[in-house]
Amino acid sequence: MSQPETWKEKLAADQVLPDLAREIDIYEQQMELRKQGKIDEKVFAETRLRRGVYGQRYDNGQRHDGTRVQKLKLPSGGLTKGPETVWDAPGMMRIKIPFGGLNPEQMEVLADLSEEYSDGVSHVTTRQDIQYHYVHIEDTPSLMRRLAAVGITTREACGNVVRNVTACPLAGVCRDEVFDVTPYAKACSRFLLGHPDTQDFGRKFKIAFSGCKDNACGLVTMHDMGAIARSKVVNGKEKRGFELYVGGGLGPVPHKAKLFDEFVPEEELLPMAQAVSRVFARLGEKRNRARARIKFLIANLGIEEFRRLVLEERAKLPSDLRWTEYLSWAHEYKEAPLKPAASRNGGERPEGFDRWYATNVYQQRQSGYVAATVALPLGDVTADQFRALASIARRFVKDTVRTTVEQNILFRWLSEADLPEFYKAVQAIDLGEPDAGTIVDVTACPGTDTCKLGIASSRGLARELHYRLSEKSLELDAAVKNLRIKVSGCFNSCGQHHIADIGFYGINRNVNGYQVPHFQVVLGGKLKDNAGEYGVAVGAVPSKRIPEAVERITERYVRDREKDESFQDFVRRIGKKEIKQVLDDLTKIPSHDAAPSYYADWGDPREFTLEDLGTGECAGEVITQAEFTLAASERELFEAHLFLDDGELVKAARTAYWSMVRAAQALVKIQNHDVSEDEAQILAEFRCRFCDTQVFYDKYAGSKFADYLFKAKDFVHNGSEVTRDRAIQLVQEAQLFIDAAHACHNKLRSTASATRSAASPSGMASAGEG
Amino acid sequence: MELQKINVKFFVAEPDQVPLTAFIDIFHSWIQATDGIYYDVADYSHMHNGPGILMIAHEANISIDETGGQRGLLYNRKQPLDGSNQEKLRCTFRAALENCLRLEQEPSLQGKLKFRGDKGLFLINDRLLAPNTEETFLLVRDDLEGFLGQLYRGVDYSLARNLEPTERFSVWMNTAVPCEVAELLKNLEA
Repeated sequence: MSQPETWKEKLAADQVLPDLAREIDIYEQQMELRKQGKIDEKVFAETRLRRGVYGQRYDNGQRHDGTRVQKLKLPSGGLTKGPETVWDAPGMMRIKIPFGGLNPEQMEVLADLSEEYSDGVSHVTTRQDIQYHYVHIEDTPSLMRRLAAVGITTREACGNVVRNVTACPLAGVCRDEVFDVTPYAKACSRFLLGHPDTQDFGRKFKIAFSGCKDNACGLVTMHDMGAIARSKVVNGKEKRGFELYVGGGLGPVPHKAKLFDEFVPEEELLPMAQAVSRVFARLGEKRNRARARIKFLIANLGIEEFRRLVLEERAKLPSDLRWTEYLSWAHEYKEAPLKPAASRNGGERPEGFDRWYATNVYQQRQSGYVAATVALPLGDVTADQFRALASIARRFVKDTVRTTVEQNILFRWLSEADLPEFYKAVQAIDLGEPDAGTIVDVTACPGTDTCKLGIASSRGLARELHYRLSEKSLELDAAVKNLRIKVSGCFNSCGQHHIADIGFYGINRNVNGYQVPHFQVVLGGKLKDNAGEYGVAVGAVPSKRIPEAVERITERYVRDREKDESFQDFVRRIGKKEIKQVLDDLTKIPSHDAAPSYYADWGDPREFTLEDLGTGECAGEVITQAEFTLAASERELFEAHLFLDDGELVKAARTAYWSMVRAAQALVKIQNHDVSEDEAQILAEFRCRFCDTQVFYDKYAGSKFADYLFKAKDFVHNGSEVTRDRAIQLVQEAQLFIDAAHACHNKLRSTASATRSAASPSGMASAGEG
Repeated sequence: MELQKINVKFFVAEPDQVPLTAFIDIFHSWIQATDGIYYDVADYSHMHNGPGILMIAHEANISIDETGGQRGLLYNRKQPLDGSNQEKLRCTFRAALENCLRLEQEPSLQGKLKFRGDKGLFLINDRLLAPNTEETFLLVRDDLEGFLGQLYRGVDYSLARNLEPTERFSVWMNTAVPCEVAELLKNLEA
């Protein structure tokens, strides 16, 4: 047998689920169409985002080298993969890890892929995802196939869709939880993935699950939708359900989620999520990205009205077996430990073990078992370390490993007696650092290292703070040690600075005629109570003086706090004005000539500039369902061409016909968002809405293009013989039909735009204001 | 077997002489001296035995790599190369050695950095093309030996395949006597 030349050949159909394989094939075809110029760059950008293929800093093809802007040498010519995004420029790949759950096979594949397609590092994000940087777009289909072979999808990791569903990493082993939310997070993630009702959002949608209310757990109240496990006794039987929250979010304008319902029974969780999605898709802002998250919709409508609309929507939903079929499995769901429970009972204590044990080990509610945190520096793990962690997992716990929103990895179900050996094993790969979940364990988004929107170096600052705080970790007052620091490179809050005791986000200030990286200091946020409070901004400090600011703030806290006073209470008590004074002299820096290093960022000798700031792809372009469906029709036509080339005439004819049906469906979606996949309904609605009304009508050709569709339907359904000539004709007619559908779509869009302009001469109106 | 995704690493003689972070400034200055070839510098100095400091480009990355706890210059060819396998090996090794020499001559390092010409690692960064097996080694060996004969110019050397199956296909190259990278480069140019 000959050696496979591609991963597609190597990973035979039985290794990748058919749905995932098909999805990746479609993406690969879309890439091909983009290269041929047959898909608009905006549509392609959202298409790739929805597969986790994200932009990265400098992908507009230029970079400031500290003295001048250099145009990067990229061979792709004018080909782009999105607006101002060069095809050959390196990108970021985001990989969804629902609730952070990983098994050893997945960890090994992730390690391998980071070596072959990235820079050898897997990065754990603040949403339990894994990210690679510097990935070439041409490598992404192979990368996706290799992930799919171990049950991982990148689908909907980015874009205006439901992002990775997160959950408390202790779910199932937590001492305080009501019940294990893992199966519900899993079911929700599966149910909403690719669901038609989640494809037309104006912005991303984030969901989190938590097993309890009081601890940090899933950080529910900062999510678009969050569910906290609850139970209540109904007719003498304990019933599971969720306290459901909606409309939370960080970003530049943080909102705490509002209580939607104190108790949503478990069987109502998925239909309610679906109903919320439908209301968001229908009424959420689409044109003004800055106000398109669901938090703005809820703020505008008020929670009562939003609730009423959701319940009304829920009542109309046709029943779906998937809403409840997972429940029996959910009740039975239980992770199986690899080893029997056993206490340490004295036992060996290797050097450093006690210190590590004090911060990194959590006693599970199951006696004799613990969960141990492997602290990753800045969320990064090398390929060798990741493979070693996979071996460690096989040796001690099997597949009960989770990534955490604090960018670490948690090993659950460790038999307590194994802890010293486990510690030695992680220490051997330099991952035995103590201080997980303390002030030393700083969280940071990618910032200017790789993010197009980054203003200041969040990772650079986090690295510096980590070094300095680790050095004096043993001397730190316990009250300080338990604080958390989180850093974002800009106001968009990917580093979750609002919920840290001490948070920072990058900004720019002009000092002595120079741009200087600064961080806004945000104090008093609270992780506990599911992100219970957001911090307040107290002032901007030059980036290079932030370590001093941390020292000042923590020293002041230790000195002046009242007995057992929390940091949040302390900040509130002494007030913003007082804190500003504490930091006042730190806001000044020496002149550029005297100390040029203040005018550069951490870990970057270039003089600071905002020249490299790009356009964010955080949410992607808002692409309507009609545009997406038109792009799908193009892809199906491309497939018809391939069948034709391979001599598969019947398939070519049928696929060409279906590409026309798809284009007709795209137009129908403009007027009826809920049009089904049913061929008869699509054709009936198309005839009624577009043909009978002559909306789909060419000035010169009349109804000719519509006739192609209906004649093709008769031909395909009559089972007529498909000759090569007839197949070619059908493919050509399909092309003309799709072109006409595009023209019709553009005409309708222009008309709608003109109508809007007439109604709002300033052109500034948004749904939020309306 | 058609070779692609060739990586070559030459090791630093006394790694403690230069802090890893020193290479951040050097690579930024190299970028300033070129014209759009390199995208960026990636700093992984916070990781133990990690990829170190990388200079990222479309065709090939150059890094001061610390994988396996052994610091060296890693030349990671990413884009396909044309020509025979001998030509591809020559092109990749030459690029790696030229960068080693350039670093040795970097004024800010004041002669503290020396690479070992007697110890290198040849790697193919593609598990599909080159699974880490004896079979791959047999397919590659003739080409590699043919090329190394020219690189080492009569000096005895040994090859040892990395036998760890989960890792990428790689071969350690060791000469019997010490040699400098400048010498190796000269051999290639002869």
